[in-house]
Amino acid sequence: MCGINGAVGLKNISELLFEGIRNLEYRGYDSCGVALMNKTRLILKKDVGGVEDVYRKHNVLQLQSNIGIAHTRWATHGKVTQNNTHPFASNDGNFAVVHNGIISNFRPLRDQLQKEGFKFSSETDTEVLAHLLEKFYKSSRDIEKAFVKVLNLIEGTYAIAFISSHLPGQIFCARRESPLMLGIGDEIKFVGSDFSAFIDHTKNAVILDDGEYAILSRDTYVVKNLLSREEITKPITKIEWDSETSRKGGYPHYMLKEIYEQPQTISNALDLEASGLDEIVELFAKSKNSYLLGVGTTFYVAKYAKYVFSQIAQEFYPSISSDEFRVLTNLNKQSLVFSASQSGETFDTLSALKYAKSKGARTAAVVNVMGSSIARLVDKVVLQGSGPEICVISTKAAVSQMVILTVLAMKLALKKKVITRKTYNQHMRALQELPEIIQGILNERSGFIHRLAHKYSGTRNWLYLGRGVYYPIALEAALKMKEVAYVHAEGMPGGFLKHGTLAMIDDDVSSIVFVPPPEDKSLYEATLHSIEEIRARSGFVLGIHFTEQGKNGALYSEELILPKVPPLTAPLIQLVIGQLFAYFTATSLKRNIDKPRSLAKSVTVA
Amino acid sequence: MKAIILSAGEGAHLSPFSETRPISMIGVAGRTLLDNTFGLLKSAGINDIFVVAGHKREKLIEQLQQQDHNGLNLHHVEQKRKLGIGHAVLQVKNKILPGEFFLLAYGDILTADNIFSKIQQSFHSFKCPVASICLPPSNQMFGNVFLNARMEITKIVEKPKGNNLGNYVLSGVFILPASFFKLLESSGNSMEKALKKVVAGEGLRASMWEDEWLDVVYPWEILTANKMIMDSWKETSIAKDATLEANVTLQGIVRIEAGAIIKSGAVLEGPCCIGEKSYIGNNSLVRSYTSVGKNCSVGSGVELKNCVVMDNSQIGRLSFVGDSVLGENVDMGAGCMTVNRDIDWKPISVKNGKRPMATGMKKLGAFLGDGVVVGAGNTIQPGTIVAPGKVLPACYSVKHK
Repeated sequence: MCGINGAVGLKNISELLFEGIRNLEYRGYDSCGVALMNKTRLILKKDVGGVEDVYRKHNVLQLQSNIGIAHTRWATHGKVTQNNTHPFASNDGNFAVVHNGIISNFRPLRDQLQKEGFKFSSETDTEVLAHLLEKFYKSSRDIEKAFVKVLNLIEGTYAIAFISSHLPGQIFCARRESPLMLGIGDEIKFVGSDFSAFIDHTKNAVILDDGEYAILSRDTYVVKNLLSREEITKPITKIEWDSETSRKGGYPHYMLKEIYEQPQTISNALDLEASGLDEIVELFAKSKNSYLLGVGTTFYVAKYAKYVFSQIAQEFYPSISSDEFRVLTNLNKQSLVFSASQSGETFDTLSALKYAKSKGARTAAVVNVMGSSIARLVDKVVLQGSGPEICVISTKAAVSQMVILTVLAMKLALKKKVITRKTYNQHMRALQELPEIIQGILNERSGFIHRLAHKYSGTRNWLYLGRGVYYPIALEAALKMKEVAYVHAEGMPGGFLKHGTLAMIDDDVSSIVFVPPPEDKSLYEATLHSIEEIRARSGFVLGIHFTEQGKNGALYSEELILPKVPPLTAPLIQLVIGQLFAYFTATSLKRNIDKPRSLAKSVTVA
Repeated sequence: MKAIILSAGEGAHLSPFSETRPISMIGVAGRTLLDNTFGLLKSAGINDIFVVAGHKREKLIEQLQQQDHNGLNLHHVEQKRKLGIGHAVLQVKNKILPGEFFLLAYGDILTADNIFSKIQQSFHSFKCPVASICLPPSNQMFGNVFLNARMEITKIVEKPKGNNLGNYVLSGVFILPASFFKLLESSGNSMEKALKKVVAGEGLRASMWEDEWLDVVYPWEILTANKMIMDSWKETSIAKDATLEANVTLQGIVRIEAGAIIKSGAVLEGPCCIGEKSYIGNNSLVRSYTSVGKNCSVGSGVELKNCVVMDNSQIGRLSFVGDSVLGENVDMGAGCMTVNRDIDWKPISVKNGKRPMATGMKKLGAFLGDGVVVGAGNTIQPGTIVAPGKVLPACYSVKHK
C-alpha cells in the first residue's frame, strides 16, 4: 500500500508535490521519496521516515523543478530501508519510477535483467520497471513504445508513474487494480493515487481504468487503451469539495465554530492581565460622566454593561448607539467614553470616539483586533484575545466583551467598596465556572435546541422578552435571529407588553421569554407575569428557564430547561441559547449563514 | 480511499420489505438506497467499494454483478452469520492494509447531499480518524457525542437521561485506520466499545453534517426517504425513448426513464418519477412524491399520491394508492383503495407483529410486501402491513350463486 503523486506545470512544483504526498500519508508510510528534474537531469531524494522528516532532512523544498513524481511507501516487498524506497532510477539515470502494487513476475524479470548486466540497488519488485524502460528505450528510442512493452510484460497489480530525462516535460502513468487518477488543472496536470494528492489545486479528475495508460504534460493529457493504443475520451469527474472546509475545522459554518469557541474565549477574557483592566477602572472612577458606546451587537453589549455597572457597582452609565452619539452627549475633560468593537474599525464608533477626543474627553475601548484604528486611537485599550471572528454575525466576540465588562464593573465596585472582597471572589468564581457550563450546554442541549428551531422555523414574527439585564440579552438574541435567519424578531422589555405590544399577540406572533433564575425573585416573578399575559391571550411562549420541568404548570407552550447556575452568569448562558436558536433556524431555512445578505463583517462606512 | 458499506443487517422493523431484501436494496425516488450511496461515493472521488452482504445477500450480490457501475470497482464480502455490526466490519479486514485509512458507512442511512465528500474534507484537514455526526430529527435511539471546540470527540454516551437533553449523534459514516480492526477484535466485536477506544487512544474527530439525514428504520420512513431525495432534485428529465402521448400534463419536476409510456390524459405532478419501461394508463393522476419503479403497470384512471411502488408491480384501473409503499411484483386488482386517514383524523398506528406502533402521522396508507396480490375491489385500512406473498381475495358486493 503506497501513495503516488506527480505533477507537471509551469512553475516550481516541489512544494505542491510535498503537500500532495503528505495528504496521501493516510495510505500508510514508512519511507518516502521524490524525483525532480533539474533542466534535463533527474534528481532523486529518498529516505526512511514520514514525508515531513524526509523533506526537511534532504532540503527537498530548496530544489526547483516544474515536473516531479513522489511516493510514500508502506513496505510489502523488501525491508524499510533507504535503498528500498521509491522512486527508482534506471542504471543510466534517465528514468525514475514510482509504483504501488505488486509485480508478481518480478523475479524472472530481475534474473534476466541481471544476466544482461543491469545492476540492482534494492530488493523491491519495482526496480525492474526502471531497468526495463531503459532497456526497451534503447531499442526503440520511443518512450511510449517502451512503456507499452513493459506494461505488456509485467504481471500483477500496479499503479505506475515515471518521468524521463529524454522527455523532460511529460509524466507517464498506468494502472491495473491499484488506484490512480489524473488531476486536470490549467497549465498544470497531476497524477495521484487519490484526489487528496491534488484537490487543493484542482477539482477536475479523470479516473484511469484498468488497461489504460496516460501521458501528461503541462498543457494537455492523453489517455490510451493499452491493447489498441488508441486514444480514449474520458469524462472529467468534478470532485465535490469546498476548499473553505479545512479552515472551518470540521464545522459546517464559522458561526457554529465560533459559538463552540466561546468557552475558550471566555477563559481568555478571564486571563487578561489585571493591570490593563485596573487602568480602565481608574478611568471610570475618575470620570464625572461616563458613556458606554457601541453599535449593532456592541450597542447591546454596552446596554448589557449599563445594567451590570448599575447592579454591581451602583453606577449609572448611559449606553448609546455610536451613530446617535453626537446628538446625545455633553462632553468635557471629565468625561469618559468607553466603546466596544470587534474589528476596531467600525466607522460609527470610530467617528464618535474622534468626536469625543476633540471635546477633550478620555477614551477607552475593548476590541478584538490588535493594531486596529480604534485600538490605536483610544487612551486605553483592552485587547480581548478572542481570536479571529470570521462569521459576519458576532457571537464569541460579543460574549467575551460582556464578560470583560462584568469584570470591570466588579473591579470598580471593589474599588468603591460597594462590594466586599468576598462577594468579588464569589462573582469571579461564577465567571470562572462559565466556560464549563457553556461547554455542557453545547454538548447536552444542541440537539434539543435544533429540534425546537427546526419545528418553529416557519414562525415569521418573534417577540424576544426579558426584564432587567435579560432585556439586552433579548435584544442581542433577537438581532442574531434577524441577521442570520432574516426572521423578524423584536427584543423588548417584558413590562412593555401591556403598554402596547400585547395587542399584537395572535397566531402570527410567537414569543421567546428569557426567564431569570428564581433566586432573582422579583425579576423572576415579574417575568412570569409577562408570560401569563401572553398565555391569557392564547399566545405561543417558548420559555428558556432554570426551573424544573412542569413546575409552573402549563405556563409555557414549549420550554427549554437550563441547569442551575449563579444569577450573575445566567444571562450569558441564555444568550448562548439565543445564538444556537438563531443558527439552527437559519440552517433550517437554508440561509447563507456566514455571509448573510446585505451585511458585512466590519462596517467601515457611514 | 476504499469504502466499506455495511449492508448485512436484518432490519426487522422494516418488515414487510426487509423480509425479502437487505435494507439498502429498498428503492426510493427511482433508485435503491445503495445506488444513492454509490452515486455519492463516486462524486466524492471514491471508487473502490466493498459491500458487506449478509441478510438476503443473494439479491444484493446479483445486483452488484449485473449492473453497469459506471467506473466503480464494486466488490462484495459475505457475512455468513448474524453476529452484529462489528463482526460485519471485520469481514473486510484483509482488504485493508496496515496503516491504511478507509471509509466506513452504514448502508441504511440516506442523505441527499454528499456526506462522504464532507467527511473526506474533514479527514483531509485533520489527518486522523473522523466520525460524521449529525442532529437527527429525534434522538430516541442514538448514542450522543460530546465535543470540544477543536472538534475532538471527548465522550460517546448512550441516549442521555433527563429532560431537554440531546446532542449530535454518530451518523454512521466514519474514516478509520486499519488498526481499528484490532480494536474491534479486542472489544468483543462491539463497534461502540471499539469507537470508545479510538476516542481514548488515537482520538476521533467529528465532521458535522448539517443537511438532512435519515436512518431508514420503519416502513413509513421509506416515504420520508423518498421525499428527501425528490426534494433535492433540481430539474426535469425525460428519457429520449420515453413515450408521452398527446394531452399528457407535466407539472413541476418530473423524471421519466427510458421506455416508459405515459398515455393520453395522464397528469404528472412533480416531484415524481416513472421508472424504465413502466406504463401509466389513460387519465391517471400521479401526484407529488410518487415513485414508480421499473416495469410497472398503472391502469387507467388510477390516482397515486406520496407513494413508492417498487419494480414489476401492477395497479389495476380506478384504484387509489396514497401514503403507501408497494413492494416488488405486487399485483393490485382494479378498483382498490389504500384508505389513508381515519374518520376522526387521529394519528395512525401501524400493527407490525403484536403491538401497534404510533407513527404520529395523520395520513398513512398501507405497506404491501413483495409479491402481494390484492384482489379487485379491496379497501385497505390505514396503517395495514401485508406480509410478502400474501393473497387477499377479491371483494365483491355482488356474487354469482
